Amino acid sequence: MDLSVLLQILVWGLYAGCIYILLAIGLNLIFGVMKVVNFAHGELLMLGAYAAFWIYTLSGINPYLIIALAMILLGIIGVFIERLCFRPIMGTGKLNEIFLSLGLIYLFQNLAALLWTTGSRSIHSPYSDVSVSIGSIRLPLDYIIIIVFTILFLIAFQLFMKRTTLGRAMRATSQNREAAALMGIHVERMDMLSFALGSALAAAAGSLWLISGQIANPYMGSIPAIKAFAVIIIGGLGSIPGAIVAGLTLGIAENVLPLFIQSFVGLFGVSMSFTAWKDTIAFFILIIVLVIRPTGIFGEKGE
Amino acid sequence: MIMLEIKGLNVAYDKVQVLWDVSFNINEGEIVTLLGSNGAGKSTTVKTIQGLLKSRSGSIRFMDKSIGGLPAYKVVAAGISLVPEGREIFPKMSVLENLILGAYVPRARAKDLRDESLDWVFKLFPKLEERKKQLAGTMSGGEQQMLAIARALMSKPKLLMLDEPSLGLAPVLVLQVFDIIKKLNEEGVTILLVEQNVHHALGLSDRAYVLEKGRTILEGKGFELLSDKYVKEAYLGM
Ligand SMILES: Nc1ncnc2c1ncn2[C@@H]1O[C@H](COP(=O)(O)OP(=O)(O)OP(=O)(O)O)[C@@H](O)[C@H]1O
Ligand SMILES: [Mg+2]
Repeated sequence: MDLSVLLQILVWGLYAGCIYILLAIGLNLIFGVMKVVNFAHGELLMLGAYAAFWIYTLSGINPYLIIALAMILLGIIGVFIERLCFRPIMGTGKLNEIFLSLGLIYLFQNLAALLWTTGSRSIHSPYSDVSVSIGSIRLPLDYIIIIVFTILFLIAFQLFMKRTTLGRAMRATSQNREAAALMGIHVERMDMLSFALGSALAAAAGSLWLISGQIANPYMGSIPAIKAFAVIIIGGLGSIPGAIVAGLTLGIAENVLPLFIQSFVGLFGVSMSFTAWKDTIAFFILIIVLVIRPTGIFGEKGE
Repeated sequence: MIMLEIKGLNVAYDKVQVLWDVSFNINEGEIVTLLGSNGAGKSTTVKTIQGLLKSRSGSIRFMDKSIGGLPAYKVVAAGISLVPEGREIFPKMSVLENLILGAYVPRARAKDLRDESLDWVFKLFPKLEERKKQLAGTMSGGEQQMLAIARALMSKPKLLMLDEPSLGLAPVLVLQVFDIIKKLNEEGVTILLVEQNVHHALGLSDRAYVLEKGRTILEGKGFELLSDKYVKEAYLGM
């Protein structure tokens, strides 16, 4: 296999990894603060993609400028979901939370299908024909923008969590809810905020996905969400560095490994494509990590 | 002047009632101790005052305002701070970050006020200043207790409640904790102390209440209770 092809696939993997990381960090945040696993997180990505689609279609402004709007919109929707769905059942048992968020998956998917049909939607990035040449390889500009965007999001998120009063209050709530209340922190507000932020990050993932040329439909969220769950478990529940490392590893592995296997079996004269195995790879890695290190790579209890 | 007035407090966990018609009060500037055997309802009492638990009935008044039923964050903002049983520090944050969180209430949050409070608690607990970069979870039990007290002070409370601050500490540290409590009181902080360490606690306090099976059964001056027949039998093993 030629090196430039490999590098190109590597960037593909980085790009896919970015989407997983954005989803996984939001999930981690919600779980950390509220101790709720939001199985419907992929549907927030889907709603974010539709939000970007409609804002773009109705306004026609540069799609990259729309990301912020889609994030704000989903942040508001996140507040409503937390207040109307999760808050009333908090503390009534894990099973209720699980079924509620599973129920939300179908609710949002069907709502989207009803409102916007099940047809695929896409938008045209103004840079879709532009590519950047580095040496002998050509990379789509959109992918590079997305990788840069994700890095910026992560830095901003990290600064927010570490340096601001609000971020510190959210971390405190996730480490010890009762002690946080004793500090004078309005912990229910932190729930709301974590859900809003998590939803906004999912919207960022969804709109970046759409802008980079992927299609939106009501069911687009399921596979990325499942992979984001794998990323969280591989990286260690609650760990942000873990999510970043695992997200990138997964993104790269699922794009590079099928090619490796293909050229490997090619040595034996077998000609077979393994790209259909892409979605399975996440789970191979997941199982291997769990066997070797059940708490995930960076895993420990807490935050 | 009465600072905190509790009247007819009834508190239950689900269906099990644990506080029955509890009444007591604390005057401004006092140290009041709440005594009682295990399970008597001491922690339940301070948690209810702080707003972590809701009472079924009864009134809680603080500085002439009703605070009964307010959520914890509002009670903290009103000027009451609790050092909970078992410390409950934030283990994955540095000592300094724990302290900064202590000054979260609007009343104490401004940077200059916060720096002032930091100076104050570092003077009381010099060790915390040496360890301010250390992760709180890696400190010893005694150090964590000091941190928990210092953190509660960062909100500049008018009333500080301490739930068994000497629990699990070596005798030297116990003395140190009681010294600090005394010093704080001299600086004007009113104190509600929950203790099993009857001798030290009563020696230090102005007044004390004894809680038994969720009811206040005795009240008296600290030194008077020390020689009370019931207290002697029940707590001092005499
Ligand atoms: N979360 C809870 N759910 C149900 N019952 C509880 C709960 N917390 C405490 N209790 C019960 O309430 C009663 C009073 O408990 P509380 O913790 O207030 O006692 P305490 O006086 O602080 O005891 P200790 O000295 O052991 O700390 C006990 O019988 C206890 O079993
Ligand atoms: Mg107790």
